[in-house]
Amino acid sequence: MKSFLQLNTIFVSILIESMPFVLIGVFISGIIQMFVTEEMVQRWVPKNKVLAVLYSALIGILFPACECGIVPITRRLVAKGVPLHAVIPFMLTGPIINPIVLFSTYIAFGSNIKMVLYRSIFSCIVAVIIGLILSVQYKDDQLRKKEVISSVSSKTLKEKWMGTLQHAVDEFFASGKYLIIGAFIASAMQTYVKTSIFLAIGHGKATSSLVMMALAFVLSLCSEADAFIASSFQNTFSFGALAAFLVYGPMLDIKNTLMLFQSFKTRFVLVLIAYITVFVFIGSLFI
Amino acid sequence: MLRTYILLGFAFLFFHLHATGDISKYINMRYSYLSFSAIFLFAFLTIVQFVIANRKEKEHHCHDGCCHHHDEESPKWKRALNYMVFIFPIVSALLFPIATLDSDIVKAKGFHIPGFDTKSEDPTVQRQFLRPDTSIYYDKDGYNDLMQKELSYFGKQRRLVLNDENYLKAIETVYQFPGEFSDREIEFDGFVYHDETTNQNQLFILRFGIIHCVADSGVYGLLTQFSKPPHLKNDEWVHIKGKLSTIYYQPYNATIPYVEVKSWHTIRQPEEPYVFRGYDR
Repeated sequence: MKSFLQLNTIFVSILIESMPFVLIGVFISGIIQMFVTEEMVQRWVPKNKVLAVLYSALIGILFPACECGIVPITRRLVAKGVPLHAVIPFMLTGPIINPIVLFSTYIAFGSNIKMVLYRSIFSCIVAVIIGLILSVQYKDDQLRKKEVISSVSSKTLKEKWMGTLQHAVDEFFASGKYLIIGAFIASAMQTYVKTSIFLAIGHGKATSSLVMMALAFVLSLCSEADAFIASSFQNTFSFGALAAFLVYGPMLDIKNTLMLFQSFKTRFVLVLIAYITVFVFIGSLFI
Repeated sequence: MLRTYILLGFAFLFFHLHATGDISKYINMRYSYLSFSAIFLFAFLTIVQFVIANRKEKEHHCHDGCCHHHDEESPKWKRALNYMVFIFPIVSALLFPIATLDSDIVKAKGFHIPGFDTKSEDPTVQRQFLRPDTSIYYDKDGYNDLMQKELSYFGKQRRLVLNDENYLKAIETVYQFPGEFSDREIEFDGFVYHDETTNQNQLFILRFGIIHCVADSGVYGLLTQFSKPPHLKNDEWVHIKGKLSTIYYQPYNATIPYVEVKSWHTIRQPEEPYVFRGYDR
């Protein structure tokens, strides 16, 4: 019973921490839904695929998002006709290279820029590679449900704002469910699964990267807090493994994976997970 | 209508946590403005949903049952289950008492964050225990500068008195320069943790440190040595006065700082059992 109460406390604390970001996410998603037209998308997204991928991987630097708030935004952009290769890199780097996360990384690693650089550059490289592959592999949107997009240009401003809010509510109920389930699983993992199981696996270069990636997935920490956790592992794990932890966690964890499955086709999400895992792993071996 | 109640429930939950101050048992108050604004966002969405639902109801009557809300397509039990997911955290947060992290968590998960396992024989794992250390991320000079700054701050004090604010910094500095603090007087609070490696005159005095929220907590503290067995139980809170020194601690295969206890008394668990990591250094 006591362990359930502790589980519940951790569960609630994850929700308190992430809900505000999800709320911001659903509002932005609503605004995109009502105010962004397909013509705008056509104009903004570069025709050149490589350019689109690069642009998408870097735009997150201006944009304070976290890994759970960004999924509804991503889905909305895709539904609006932005090609996958121009959105997924944004989804992958957005929670990492935004100013708040970089600042907290800087502080966590003792006001030193080294990890900030490794973390952001590493994540951008992974995102760009994945974006380029997706640009060749997929032509359609891979959304689970085809969403009917009513023309927004015919609506009055008042209707648009009302629509934005209604959409924000819908989106909250659509993505909030998976956030809650994910947070519950993550807190159960924290309470009942001994982390020492992971740590006992080994300290080789390859194994320690895999261990840290698995840990990042299971702990499901907010990308603004994970740097502090990583810094506490530094005697145990190599710099490369820590970088893998800091890049993999914001891209994939229990919460946002569930949210991805809810938004995109199962097959596509599996492929995406495989790409992220493989490239982060390989990348960490070079650091 | 259920949606309105759920949104209202979340607004109330966040409001309740702030009004009662319980929020500090979940998150670092440094970030409380985020959850504070969530009260208003949820309240706003509640009103939005209420208006929308009302409007729908009217339309519903006009068009005689042709409701296009996508939720209506799924079967009833599925929708019910769906909303249960949202109701669960509201109920569980309001109903169940908040658990304070204690030695059970330390034992149950080992040290998931600092990477400490009470059973492991691997010294590289165990050395993480208790010691916030950030050296690997600095150029040698940068780190030395920072630690020298901390050292000159703490080093000047003839006796170290640890409180909620300086606990984490002070512990890091002491672990970094155990020699510098030899014979220094120290005074601090924490809860008792018996490790399998300690003998009956030794125990660990620990506190949980929190970065963002309870989910990312870690445990920090010092080994203490008593002149006679103190007969303390796990999770009893004590105030310790003593002298810092270093010891080669066989189980960790490392030299670690410890406290020779001069005097101690049990205290009640503080209002604020956790220490929080600040951004200013």
